[in-house]
Amino acid sequence: MRISRRALFFFGVALVFLLMIPPTPPQYRWLNLSKAGLALFWAVLLGIEDLSNRRRDFNLWKDDDPPDLPSGD
Amino acid sequence: MSPALVLIIAIALAFDFFNGFHDAANSIATVVSTRVLSPRQAVAWAAFFNFAAFIIFGTAVAATIANDVVNPAILDNQVIFAGLIGAIAWDVITWYAGLPTSSSHALVGGMAGAAVAKAGWAALIASGLQKIIVFIVLSPLIGLLLGFTIMVSVYWLFHREHRVDRLHRRFRRMQLVSAAAFSLGHGANDAQKTMGIILALLIANGQVPANSSVPIWVVLSAHTAIALGTLFGGWRIVHTMGSKITKLTPVAGMSSELAAASTLFFTAHAGIPVSTTHTISGAIVGVGTTQRLSAVRWGVASKVVWAWVLTIPGAFIVSYFVYLPFKGLG
Repeated sequence: MRISRRALFFFGVALVFLLMIPPTPPQYRWLNLSKAGLALFWAVLLGIEDLSNRRRDFNLWKDDDPPDLPSGD
Repeated sequence: MSPALVLIIAIALAFDFFNGFHDAANSIATVVSTRVLSPRQAVAWAAFFNFAAFIIFGTAVAATIANDVVNPAILDNQVIFAGLIGAIAWDVITWYAGLPTSSSHALVGGMAGAAVAKAGWAALIASGLQKIIVFIVLSPLIGLLLGFTIMVSVYWLFHREHRVDRLHRRFRRMQLVSAAAFSLGHGANDAQKTMGIILALLIANGQVPANSSVPIWVVLSAHTAIALGTLFGGWRIVHTMGSKITKLTPVAGMSSELAAASTLFFTAHAGIPVSTTHTISGAIVGVGTTQRLSAVRWGVASKVVWAWVLTIPGAFIVSYFVYLPFKGLG
């Protein structure tokens, strides 16, 4: 099961916001936390989208009539 | 006012003009690349809103530049002169190379370099520099996240609309508003840096008391200089920002400008000098990632990032060496 690069990208962005908390002046740390939360939200949503697309692709394949195979005499 | 003071104020305003010339082109990159306005109309539009910013925003960024980067006791005519020359030299070099670097960070690096040449590392105010350096990283990422969020929200809101032409027309009109908002943010951030420098200069020369607010003639002249700089803007950078990082539609242009403008409004209010270039680049990348990661031309984006990383050290070194002859004379 594979998560797309976009989901991982937003996960990485969230990580950077969290890693930047210690050097950020205390009065602006809420910004790091809220933006990390937003980036995680998108990472999770994109991940769910990937998984549901894969499942749908799989179901489509299963529901389709089996492809006609060349039949020999 | 002494002739030396008048000369340095003129150089500061020239820096502001070059800031407009170099950076303000970013205000119009998206609006030009989506063909909502012709380059000439876009430049006039951006210049007007650069100037109008002084009516809306305070001078918190100017106060940060004047008091929080270098110990105000160290600042004198020579330090400010060397800092400005270093920043201008760096801006000209990167403009010639077609790199959208930050004039703001060039100014911070320049002031720091000249101050260190005069009085050593103790001349720097660690907390002020820390705030600026942290937001070098955060501002493009905030722009990126907001750009992605606004773009996805617009998709959600209008996904049932099938008349694509009408939708495009609507977003083209909206882009006039978003470009104006971004230009306001740009004027508020970048013109204030020059105000901060002139304020520090006036305090150092005893023209105004310490902790004084920015005189209105300084506010007006700084906004006029940046607006004029925008009018003579740099098309090489427009080309890099608007078309090389990712291809833009009117809706993408509007989303990236709104994202960048929101970030700049916050930082102007909080008194944090950030780069408008960083912010709009991040927002354009964020909008590009709604399609797919490969829609963003990462090669160009990484070239831009390298230019950002080098700006503070580059301007620092140039200003350091510009100041050394004054030290020898002293």
